[in-house]
Amino acid sequence: MSRARNTIGTWIGWTFFADLASGLSLTFGYMFSRPVTMQYPDKEKWLPYSRYRGHHFLKRDEEGEIKCVACELCARICPCYCIEVIPYEDEKGNRRPAKFEIDTARCLFCGLCEDACPADAIALGQQYEFSSFSSRDLVIGRDDLLAKPGKAATGGGVVSARLNTKKDVLVETNERQGYNWWRNIRRR
Amino acid sequence: MELIVALGLIVFKVALLIAILLLLPLPLTWVERKIAGHIQQRMGPMRVGWHGLLQPVADGIKLLTKEDHIPAEADRFLFKLAPILALAPPFVVFVAIPFGETVSVLNAEITLYVSNMNVALLFVFAVIGLEVYGVIFGGWAANSKYAVLGSLRTCAQMISYEIPMGFAVIGVVMLAQSMSLLEIVRAQADVWNIVYQPIGFFVFFVAGLAEAQRIPFDLAEAEGDLGAGFHTEYSGIRFAFFMISEYVIMLLVSVLAVILFFGGWNGVLIPLPPLLWFLLKVAFFVYLFMWFRFTFPRYRYDQLMAIGWKVLLPLSMANIIITGIIFS
Ligand code: SF4
Ligand code: SF4
Repeated sequence: MSRARNTIGTWIGWTFFADLASGLSLTFGYMFSRPVTMQYPDKEKWLPYSRYRGHHFLKRDEEGEIKCVACELCARICPCYCIEVIPYEDEKGNRRPAKFEIDTARCLFCGLCEDACPADAIALGQQYEFSSFSSRDLVIGRDDLLAKPGKAATGGGVVSARLNTKKDVLVETNERQGYNWWRNIRRR
Repeated sequence: MELIVALGLIVFKVALLIAILLLLPLPLTWVERKIAGHIQQRMGPMRVGWHGLLQPVADGIKLLTKEDHIPAEADRFLFKLAPILALAPPFVVFVAIPFGETVSVLNAEITLYVSNMNVALLFVFAVIGLEVYGVIFGGWAANSKYAVLGSLRTCAQMISYEIPMGFAVIGVVMLAQSMSLLEIVRAQADVWNIVYQPIGFFVFFVAGLAEAQRIPFDLAEAEGDLGAGFHTEYSGIRFAFFMISEYVIMLLVSVLAVILFFGGWNGVLIPLPPLLWFLLKVAFFVYLFMWFRFTFPRYRYDQLMAIGWKVLLPLSMANIIITGIIFS
């Protein structure tokens, strides 16, 4: 009985285009909801979480010395063989890297080097904008790695930013904490 | 002297009409992309000009400077002829379309139409039917299977929607006792035809969607299954011709819907200038077309046939009979 009534109800609905109308009302609602677009290079930029695996950086200890002991474990574990470490002995008798190069063009940002390091010297930081026109520029040396930004303290937000193309292509921002992008997502 | 003035006026009006119709697709593409974007929670074009307002200009420059490619195996004459055949009829039709009664400029009464034909409706349907030749030739001449499939679909589609569309407006003609679009609008001064002719409007609008080849009936250029249908092989300015033609037809169907069923420039409640009323109604229909486009999926080929022959045709016949019984 109720099944028959349902069938009749469906047919009446179809006659008056109830299904089409509900589709139209849905898209109309979407049309006036907030877009989810992050206007990345022009206006906004994403701040990564602290767990984000971006560009590598090398750490220093309290005395400002490089932490790396040039054990070459990271070079061993790297699945892409993109780390090259050459050790030397400094004046205090410590083993340090004379040459420490990462070929970020080949790196797959797996983070294994970070896990393997016994001295907590290398980690993957927050920087994600380092595209280049030449793959040679993507081989990063020791001193550059020491200067790279570290892990993000806050993150997961969208901050206002500005595209700067004067020298290279940079997306600059001064904000530390942005708004939560997920608030734009419409849930029903 | 008077003859020269009258002639000059007509030439001026036609030139103005052509200029407006040629330029109008530019803002319309922008509006369409914006509506598409916001319905899909995107922003649409944002980077060229304020909120992407200059995007159509950029697109136009791109289309004009692109290589005008003709496939090696194509029928070159038909291939070049097709875009023009597709572009001309929608422009010609607008000669018969009135946009209002008269306006007075510098103490002179100027009519807002190029010609007041007494068979305007017939003229409109006859000329607009020609547009399909452009589509058919375009698909045939390109010598590409996708294009030919698109053209074949257009042929079948045209036959199944033109007939119900023609029948649907007969009710309107019966009410106005005239085929002149001007008379039809005047007859609606008190009550719009949509009140008397809801079925007629429904049939007309669905057939109009098919006529303008918009979703849900854009079988001829179904991007998903045919590449781009009949204009798969077109590029550059010839492709732009097809696009302009498509937008002008969309505009034309909106204008016809307003004139035939929504009282033309007759307003209700709010006293606005008649021309503004007219444009507002047309804009609403254009929005409706775009809104439909980004809401509905595409009908299958056989479904379109079924709708045309099994639903729209009987409905339009019934509409004529009912109108005849009630209003005679
Ligand atoms: S992140 Fe992975 S691939 Fe990249 S350098 Fe470290 S270990 Fe190698
Ligand atoms: S970064 Fe860590 S694992 Fe790599 S050589 Fe230095 S100390 Fe060893």
